[in-house]
Amino acid sequence: MTFRRFGQILFAGFLLFCAATLLPGGAPAVSGQETGTSLELSGFLVDAQGQAIAGAEVLVYLDDAEEAAAHTESREDGSWVVRLPDSPASSVRVEIERAHFEPYHYELSPDELLQLITDGVFSLRQITLENHIGLGFWVAGLTFVIVLLLIAFEKLKNTLAALLGISVVFISTFIGGAITPDLYIFDFERALTYINWEVIFLVMGMMIVVGIIEGTGIFQWLAFMAYRASRGRISLLIVVLIVITSVASALLDNVTTMLLMAPISIQIALALNISPLALLVPEILASNVSGISTLIGTPTNILIGAYADISFNDFLIFQTPGVLAAMVVMTLYVLFHYRHEISKHPGGISPTLYAKLQENARIKDPRALQRALVVFSGMLIFFAIGESLHLVPAVTALVGATILLLWVEPDIEKMLMAVDWMTLVFFMALFMLVGAVQEVGILGLFAGAMGQLIGESIVLGIIVMVIGVGLLSFGIANVPLAAAMLPVVRFLSSGIPGAESKVLYYALSMGAAMGGNGFLIGGETNLMTSGIAERAGVPITFMGFMKIGVPVTLLTLATGALWLWLRFVVMGA
Amino acid sequence: MTTILCATRGGEASVRTQMRAIEMAKEQKANLVFLYIADVKFLDRMSGSIVVDVAAELENMGEFLLLMAQERAEKAGVQAETLVKRGEFRQALLEAAQETGASTIVLGSPGEGGSITKREYLEELAASLAEETGIQTIIV
Repeated sequence: MTFRRFGQILFAGFLLFCAATLLPGGAPAVSGQETGTSLELSGFLVDAQGQAIAGAEVLVYLDDAEEAAAHTESREDGSWVVRLPDSPASSVRVEIERAHFEPYHYELSPDELLQLITDGVFSLRQITLENHIGLGFWVAGLTFVIVLLLIAFEKLKNTLAALLGISVVFISTFIGGAITPDLYIFDFERALTYINWEVIFLVMGMMIVVGIIEGTGIFQWLAFMAYRASRGRISLLIVVLIVITSVASALLDNVTTMLLMAPISIQIALALNISPLALLVPEILASNVSGISTLIGTPTNILIGAYADISFNDFLIFQTPGVLAAMVVMTLYVLFHYRHEISKHPGGISPTLYAKLQENARIKDPRALQRALVVFSGMLIFFAIGESLHLVPAVTALVGATILLLWVEPDIEKMLMAVDWMTLVFFMALFMLVGAVQEVGILGLFAGAMGQLIGESIVLGIIVMVIGVGLLSFGIANVPLAAAMLPVVRFLSSGIPGAESKVLYYALSMGAAMGGNGFLIGGETNLMTSGIAERAGVPITFMGFMKIGVPVTLLTLATGALWLWLRFVVMGA
Repeated sequence: MTTILCATRGGEASVRTQMRAIEMAKEQKANLVFLYIADVKFLDRMSGSIVVDVAAELENMGEFLLLMAQERAEKAGVQAETLVKRGEFRQALLEAAQETGASTIVLGSPGEGGSITKREYLEELAASLAEETGIQTIIV
């Protein structure tokens, strides 16, 4: 066995192990003390926004004793149960403590005490803990804002900015917390609970699949076929290239798709003697919009899907038609915007140039492409039927990636490079940072304010989420924005009648992605394509992009909002 | 016989630069070499790693752009050669000048709008190349 083959098997084994850890296991252990009498005291903890509070310490004191007779911690759903070691003679006092909340004290009335003794159980029902705004609140909030600004102004790479942010949070907790408890935010164990491993493994699996498929040259070849088939009809060429970019972005990575599509599109445009921007800009816009038509198309959708338990099929049913409608509107506007280029009489090219174009667009590895398409088709089937098999998309992605590694036998070092470890670390650090902001109650307060603004109107909720998040996306990177908005959307979804259909999650997905088309700096797809255009001597200017990007963004956001209103409000989910 | 090295890309501004180099080659009866540099420094702005060989894609594009330039020269009655280099712009230009034995380098001035290459940078580059190698650099 060669070293290369050994490496492939080792890597594939690692991926399979990851997949196995994601498969559903046994029932989780229940926390809390279970000793002594059969008397049980229970309750349910929520914050001011009605969200469950986990990890709160519940202490029960019997008969004015100074030491707690029993204690437990509230679970993820906010519930807690305490079994009393002795039967109380005169009183039962409950004290609840949790960082970032005011302490809560309650003493059972004589009637309640009697009920506890006679029935054996007594529930304090829902207890609302008031937020405590301390130094930790401000440290977490300011850190989060600074991280967003560092990313937006490109002062630090995403990963480094997020790592810096979470480091500040831990320094505040462990060093600051030792000086004054007010600086405590959360401990490492609690921070880890905020990392969504399903997202991490799905993104990792898809990176390998993307690396193999996109390296085969399929998209360059398709673009060349579009050039040949259009026979000089520029409007048709633009439409076909939009379709190719859209399909690629819906199933694979947007930035990689554009890094491959841009050079060949520039060559096609120059061959036709039209401005390369007439092909490149529509492709960028299409890539950003169509990426959200499936669960696996963008990291934001993967994030939303895992958080809100929205399946691959749910996205196809509830989101894809809206995205298609937005794409039609976008295409019509693009054809109008580039009408002067479209009306040009296309030039011809010499046989030498044509041969070079054909050579640049050839399929680089037909065997790998064939196998990759077979495996990827299988993956799509399992993404679709996975829900009925209790198979999470991350497992499908990891198993698919493993099969590809074993069957296609790519260079293992190349494949290790295809896994973008920096992005995976960014996700982990970001999850913890958003967790810190959630932990101190900032997102809860923000959600409460948004809840007051929206009231009980689902229509207003859709508009605020699609348009509001869309406008924020003009300047804020969409992954941190979506990650921060998820707890807010969860709160709104539980309070607005009709929002339990998860419509606001789809609205968040549309807003975060479509908003990226507003400015050239709105997303990496835009910036990387602009970099390639620069290298071809046809720079995409900020103003030039804005002239088409802003109207397209507003039109697609409006179309998306209209679809969600039609599908969820008019037709009912 | 002297050699003119013309670093070029593919936009309208580049065509102007190419035509000026062709005219110079014709006047001076010099060899003409068109150069494309696949500089992927812009990828540094990417937050994650890149899974495809972008430099290779740029090299392919560069070969196509240089073929177009070569055809322009041919139409004007000048035989031109092409050269594609990968790397940082200044270093690759220097290497190409040494490889081809160029006596003159022709660079295009930045076009309108979003070009990241500023005229001041090119003037500075021209001065340092002249000092380092004695090669004359003309900015069109």
